[in-house]
Amino acid sequence: MISLKNINKYYKQGEQEVHILHDITLDIQQGEFVGIMGQSGSGKSTLINIIGFLDREYKGDYVFKEDNIVHYTNKKFTYLRNKNVGFVFQNFKLINNLSVAENVALPLMYAGVKKKEVTQRVSEVLEKVGLGGYEKSIPSQLSGGQQQRVSIARAIVGNPTFLIADEPTGALDSQTSAEIMALFKQLNTLNHTTIIIVTHDPNVGKQMDRLLTILDGRLISDTEGE
Amino acid sequence: MNYSDLFKVAFKSLLANKRRSLLTMIGIVIGIASVITIIALGNGVKQKMISEFKTSNSGEQTTQITFSGKEDSTQGFTTSDIAKIKQQFSKQLTQVKFKKDSSDISVSDVSVGNATLSGTVTLLKKPMPNSKLKYGHNLTQSDLDLNQKVILLSSDYAKKIYKYSQNAIGTAVIINGISYKVKGIYKSESYTKYSANFLVSKKTYYAGKKMDQSNTLKLTVAKGNGASSVTKKVVKYLKKHGENRHLGSYSYFDEGAILKSISTIMDVLTYFISAIAGISLFIAGIGVMNMMYISVSERTQEIGIRLAVGATQKNILWQFLLEAVMLTVSGGITGFLIGWGISSVISLAIPYHIHAVVTFSNFLLAFGVSSAVGIIFGILPATQASKRNLIDILR
Repeated sequence: MISLKNINKYYKQGEQEVHILHDITLDIQQGEFVGIMGQSGSGKSTLINIIGFLDREYKGDYVFKEDNIVHYTNKKFTYLRNKNVGFVFQNFKLINNLSVAENVALPLMYAGVKKKEVTQRVSEVLEKVGLGGYEKSIPSQLSGGQQQRVSIARAIVGNPTFLIADEPTGALDSQTSAEIMALFKQLNTLNHTTIIIVTHDPNVGKQMDRLLTILDGRLISDTEGE
Repeated sequence: MNYSDLFKVAFKSLLANKRRSLLTMIGIVIGIASVITIIALGNGVKQKMISEFKTSNSGEQTTQITFSGKEDSTQGFTTSDIAKIKQQFSKQLTQVKFKKDSSDISVSDVSVGNATLSGTVTLLKKPMPNSKLKYGHNLTQSDLDLNQKVILLSSDYAKKIYKYSQNAIGTAVIINGISYKVKGIYKSESYTKYSANFLVSKKTYYAGKKMDQSNTLKLTVAKGNGASSVTKKVVKYLKKHGENRHLGSYSYFDEGAILKSISTIMDVLTYFISAIAGISLFIAGIGVMNMMYISVSERTQEIGIRLAVGATQKNILWQFLLEAVMLTVSGGITGFLIGWGISSVISLAIPYHIHAVVTFSNFLLAFGVSSAVGIIFGILPATQASKRNLIDILR
């Protein structure tokens, strides 16, 4: 489904040009549960920005569902992102002056889904992540784990093709981390959602079906999990 | 994302910073309120001018010349005056008439009871309000219409003759040889038409009376002639040839000219205040821009999240632009209402019964100007918001 070929990415840092990704070639199939591990600065965030259609300034080819997206227009690109990717961030990134339901509804609103459907779908998704009845709460009233669940609900509300989670447990204690990971696993097994999780925590990495390791911008290992 | 959602989002973000939004609005409110105030008063003056110059459909206008005699009872205009004016100004004037006076007409040789006195008469077409009646009965509409020879007496006047004013009821008053029966006593009120000593039906008073003299002349000026310049010429002519020119003076009270000068002053004032309001709106607009820039930088995270979940750059642009426009438009509408209020209060205090007039196009002006300010000063911050680099934000 996702197929990267010889991806190279350069950053301009002052006068210097930093070569952040070196010839990344990688395929991810529908329904996979993939972890990307690496130290900070290794280029793993850059890689998922590219995979998640956030960044398009790179060299190389990205074929998504047998379509080379390198030549897409900005508008088409945004549409692609809206339809296919759900993001879960380390620090949740919820809009604080919107209620839980409004936060979760955002992708549907931008996709132009009808209001009735939106309300129904949001309740369904919140139920799924274990936050049924929290629609009217404000994010700041919730615990970290609950906020991350809201963020996951927002990521899956539009039935995306794949989920990208950047350090989803980075700001959570180990108990809550385990719960969140269980939730991801459940989504993967029950709904066959492709999930890509970035982490630097080996304990999290161990739970993946497939683990990619990145060092200094190079893909150094691609292993099946236990 | 449809428009109602966009409105809701923009409204919510404005409410989230109530105090800031209100402070930013003040400049717009002041600017729009002052413009609407001056425009409403200007409209009032113009409307007054139109109603004063009752131009008929054929383009004719009427004016009046009054004669003030050295002695009270002198009637200035005679039929020969009319004939002369008609002959002299046959092209400019379509009609020259005596105006039937109807209030505070001086009459002499009035016999009341045993006395013969002078007094003033006001003529009625409609009955006096019952609240002014003190004793006896009021004149009814049929009294006025059917030439009933009945009269009302002011209580002060009646007291002078009968000591107790109610004693006058039923007695006779003879004015100009006609005998009227006193039907009631009323309380006279200064500075109104009820300040006269007698109230009589206009129809009765003028019945069978041939008008050959009056203190007021009514001119109808033909189309295409300046009403005031023609009238002035007539006055000049009368001063040389008028029959009673040695007994008093002719005057033409040019209300139009006064209103015109007020209107000119209003125009100048409108430009002046509009200029000040323009500066106020400009500064307010910069305030809006400033606030929007702060808002954009405060909400970088929100912008990033929205872009990440599928908002287009256009969505973001619209959201922030709409916020700016909603802010300025609500300021504009508030300013419009305040301006309306202020102009109504001011119009109570100025002479000539000028009312503040606010039209729908004035509303559109307030609406249009305030939304223009919102768009002009909101577009840059909104563009900046929409051009934020998503990866930089989310890092």
